Amino acid sequence: VPCVSGDLPKPTDVTFLSINMKNVLQWNPPEGLHGVDVTYTVQYFIYGQKKWLNKPECRNINRTFCDLSAETSDYEHQYYAKVKAIWETNCSKWAETGRFYPFLETQIGPPGVALTPDEKSISIVLTAPEKWKKNPEDRAVSMQQIYSNLKYNVSVYNTKSKRMWSQYVTNHTLVLTWLEPATLYCVRVVSFVPGPPRPAKPSEKQCISTLQDQTSALKVK
Amino acid sequence: GLRRCPISMDMRHLQESFQDIQRAIQANDTFQNITILSALDSLQGIKPLDVCCVTRSLLAFYMDRVFKDHQEPDPHILRRISSIANSFLYMQKTVQQCQVQGRCHCREEATNVTQIIHNNYNQLEARVAAVKSLGELNVFLAWISENYQDGSA
Repeated sequence: VPCVSGDLPKPTDVTFLSINMKNVLQWNPPEGLHGVDVTYTVQYFIYGQKKWLNKPECRNINRTFCDLSAETSDYEHQYYAKVKAIWETNCSKWAETGRFYPFLETQIGPPGVALTPDEKSISIVLTAPEKWKKNPEDRAVSMQQIYSNLKYNVSVYNTKSKRMWSQYVTNHTLVLTWLEPATLYCVRVVSFVPGPPRPAKPSEKQCISTLQDQTSALKVK
Repeated sequence: GLRRCPISMDMRHLQESFQDIQRAIQANDTFQNITILSALDSLQGIKPLDVCCVTRSLLAFYMDRVFKDHQEPDPHILRRISSIANSFLYMQKTVQQCQVQGRCHCREEATNVTQIIHNNYNQLEARVAAVKSLGELNVFLAWISENYQDGSA
């Protein structure tokens, strides 16, 4: 049933939340309609193409987000999306995003981080985050394959001396040397791609203790 | 190609300058069904051997057509565009030196790509085409950044 357009206020803050090419359209309910049983319908547009396209799974939905990852998976194209609110026979005008360019705007998630301690060193092995994939059984694509210049900012914190330092690395292994034995160190890593600034989510803080210094242990005997 | 004509340029500053005005410029581009650069298959398919020629042609495209056809009322946006134009001027000088030294040869493939871009531009009225091309600067800057990673500052 066609609705009367424009009688409802539009949804607000319509944006793409994009992490590792998982592109989710999200918005806020129209102002002044809290508690009212509003539904939403989404459409998307491929910049340079001819017409707006429907997303059947996001037609007359109650939630305020819609996963458009499959529809925007060609990350070198640019896209628009829009959403309108519907209540009974009334609906809002469309609320539209700006132009969305996944290649430049997706957040690069944190890498996998594995720590291996020694007496005066800690080996760090990083695993690049994976690109979003439609089906779990699809072949994994590393974000490194998309961004050959992917780097990592490794932050290290000595919990005894309270000293922190960080360093950029491009390859996936790093050995922290000249550490104090039997000391707890905490590590956090952020992925980084040179280019326009983009938000970045650091890895969970991981802490590990360097081993007891064997030479001093022998003296004690 | 790429290694023969390295350009040292602070790409991050350039991309930040554009990112600051991107939303405003793209909002003025109401022809969403036409692209100028974003026929990316053309840009992405450029071989390293043709990178220098395409860079030279696209810098000229922006300097000699887009920035000239665009009339910007907003002083803040104008300052940003001027900053980008100055960076392009510097890059043009570098690329022109490479050409003088015979290191920036144009093959047919490269010439075809820039011809497509000019044809796209000619489809629209000049000021509309200029706004659209400015709105697609992120595509060109990303392409430069990708192709001159080592040559960048």
